[in-house]
Amino acid sequence: MVPLPPTDLLLKNATVMTASHGTIEHGSVWVHNGKIAAVGATVDAPANAVVVDATGKWLTPGIIDPHSHSALDSDVNEATSPVTPSMMMIDAFDNRDAALYHALAGGVTTELLLHGSANMIGGQAVVIKNKFGLSRDAMLFPNAPRSIKFASGENPKRVYGGRNQLPSTRMGNFEVMRQSFENAKVYMAGWDAYNAKVAKGDKTATAPKVDLKLEALADVLRGKLYVQIHCYRADEFLTEEAIAKEYGYKIRAFHHALEMYKVADQIAPTGTGIATFTDWWGFKDEAWDAIPWNAVMSMRAGVKVALKSDSNDHIRRLNQEAGKMVHYGGATEDEAIRMVTLNAAWIIGVDDRTGSIDVGKDADLVIWNVDPLSTYARAEKVYIDGDLFFDMAAPGFGTPHFSGAMHSAGGVGGEDGAENEDGD
Amino acid sequence: MANQFSKSSLRFAFATALAWVALTAHSQTSVKQTGAIAITGGKLLTVSHGTIENGVLVLADGKIAAVGEAGKIAIPAGATVVDAHGLTIYPGLIDPDTTLGLTEVSADQNSNDLAEPSDEIMPHMHVYDAFHAETELIPVARLNGVTNAVVAPAPEDSVAGQDIFIQLAGRNRDEMILGRDVALAMNYGADQRRRGGRGASQFPSTRMGLITQLRQSLMDAQHYEVSRDAALKKSDKADEKSGDKSGEKSFQRDLKLEALLPYLHGERPVIVGVYEGYDVESFMKVAQEFHLKVILNHVTRSQEILDEIAAWKVPVIVGPIYDLPRPNERYDAVYMLPAELAKRGVKIAICSGEAGGPGGAHGVRNLPYSAGFAVAYGLPYDEALKAITLNVAEMYGFGDKLGSLDVGKTANIVLANGDPLDVRTDVKQVYIDGVAQPMVSRQTRLRDEYSK
Repeated sequence: MVPLPPTDLLLKNATVMTASHGTIEHGSVWVHNGKIAAVGATVDAPANAVVVDATGKWLTPGIIDPHSHSALDSDVNEATSPVTPSMMMIDAFDNRDAALYHALAGGVTTELLLHGSANMIGGQAVVIKNKFGLSRDAMLFPNAPRSIKFASGENPKRVYGGRNQLPSTRMGNFEVMRQSFENAKVYMAGWDAYNAKVAKGDKTATAPKVDLKLEALADVLRGKLYVQIHCYRADEFLTEEAIAKEYGYKIRAFHHALEMYKVADQIAPTGTGIATFTDWWGFKDEAWDAIPWNAVMSMRAGVKVALKSDSNDHIRRLNQEAGKMVHYGGATEDEAIRMVTLNAAWIIGVDDRTGSIDVGKDADLVIWNVDPLSTYARAEKVYIDGDLFFDMAAPGFGTPHFSGAMHSAGGVGGEDGAENEDGD
Repeated sequence: MANQFSKSSLRFAFATALAWVALTAHSQTSVKQTGAIAITGGKLLTVSHGTIENGVLVLADGKIAAVGEAGKIAIPAGATVVDAHGLTIYPGLIDPDTTLGLTEVSADQNSNDLAEPSDEIMPHMHVYDAFHAETELIPVARLNGVTNAVVAPAPEDSVAGQDIFIQLAGRNRDEMILGRDVALAMNYGADQRRRGGRGASQFPSTRMGLITQLRQSLMDAQHYEVSRDAALKKSDKADEKSGDKSGEKSFQRDLKLEALLPYLHGERPVIVGVYEGYDVESFMKVAQEFHLKVILNHVTRSQEILDEIAAWKVPVIVGPIYDLPRPNERYDAVYMLPAELAKRGVKIAICSGEAGGPGGAHGVRNLPYSAGFAVAYGLPYDEALKAITLNVAEMYGFGDKLGSLDVGKTANIVLANGDPLDVRTDVKQVYIDGVAQPMVSRQTRLRDEYSK
């Protein structure tokens, strides 16, 4: 039996990178009932708190990946139509996939599991807390905002163009989207009229047919879904923003966003963030102008920047990817760690709950042997909601909540390996 | 007169600028060092003989002319002095397994010359025939301190072709290729079977088929050599009598079988890409039967046979360190392999590849971080640095020229603002053959253009 997490937990005397208010040398964090109760040079934890001496260690918020395709058995594209907004990622989630464990051992506590990019509108994502070993439902991030994945560029046009279907060009891509929203507007108007009648007490009103696809698109127009867009090229960021403006929805983030440095000053005022790679490039034409300075240049221009994995490999070392930002563009350590914690939480819309070490937030915390931005960092202990889910020093997998058999994460010759880098 | 002078000097400046643009756009920079350079005050990581905290390194005629502690090394008169206080200086890094120059945009087939998949046994494929010296990928890798690399065909075939050893600078292919046919690229395992994802099944579709075909090919080559030598001897004798050369002319060379001969003679190494322990064991049986000089590549799923590998006394290019472990293995089952092999006395090299993808090209710039990651999981620091410098040079026959800060070696030198294996470190200057390389790539040009 796994013991219940302690009511009070004190992580003591670490270098605390808060991600929101700088770094505290010899700092401590008091966790009460899974929430951060205090953080500072000294904290007033009760005498019976379980104490973890973190002298000489580093403490950060849990790493957050705003773009993962882990634990979905490659079921990320219902690539039978370019518009499939009602496909629910939760339906493919395999909570015993070894990729979750690998990520956990790299300090990852929250992931946005997204669709691939075969479709212009792929479907609705799921947000998990990486409580590896718990049930599927217990791993869902409670009350996280709903996100929907859009794509653009080479992938949709390749997938459908290869079948001689619409879209086979970027012109086709965007027209497919516009037409979808035109359809959704009519659908929404039908429901609005019906609801208005009902509100007036009209008992003869008949409800329109529920159409799951149009309902999801209507929710985009109603502003109920966070729009996450796979998009590489500068011109396409501008087109996507124009379409969003035309139909009245907000884009939460561009994903990949490798050419953001070219138009960051134009995108910054829209409030759209980015979730980008650090240094992947050249894997296809629309990644040819990728530069590793993109993240920091875009950040300096006022865009909110997060780093993401899009890979079962990179998800295990996002802390190092953040470290590269010190190298490429001279980010401060504070700015760098924020790109894989607080800013990533913002992309998902859970930054009020996790992503930094602040009083009242979920106690999602990682203890590292050295500065997490260095090549030599290893996650030693990973807490989620104040509960220990990974302990490097523990025997076997080092997972207090998991025992038994994991499922395949692909690998050499597999289908679900890191070669699915583009999520397509 | 004065007016005319300034005009012509302006014209000269313009022409120089044009030449510079042409140079950076179409070649990988010039390669002759003129005048000695003394790099002083930096921390020298010599690789071969420890660290020198306050060191002096003298480069002359493209070679390392002197190396040692400040005060003990004479700085030649007229040398350009480079103040390297606060910087760390180390030999240029060498990636043992890349596809540099064989690909540009991965998804663009026209830019790829990665492998010839029409048959499994392709020893007569020479990477030098495809190597694209002007690739934009090379300056990108060079900016992070990689000065040399092995270029190998992608692992499609049992025998994929022959590798080249390159320098990441030079005006053209001939200046960049330091060694042709330096090793035979071989592969063995599930990925080489001609079935499943590889389309319709054809021979060899099993491991049994792969090994049989390989053994037959090596025996065919042995037989070919005997027949060839006999035919040539016969024609020699005929020549002596009659001066007739028709015997030699009528012997038809088989380029494919002939390509295997240096490897059957043990003159050069075969690099065997193999992952699973039982596959390593199967392959080694064949290798021993034919006395091949083996360097193992990958072995990321061979944790159970590390003692055996050590007993064979073969070098290992271990990794990619980011290869994923099997489900139900501990998360660090691959991360700790370099340390476990080094602990057993195995000579190791480390490559830049990522999970599932040996033969890095776009990611070669991340080579030092792979080595650093091995340090995080137990590999002694000095061994890690060696695994991306001197060990690689030695494995491919360049140990007397590259891989350490020693007098007489090629002046491939990197100056960085910190620990070379740390992701946060910025490389400040790279020298190749004693020439300071322009610290620019297509990517820095884009950065600078959009930073205006």
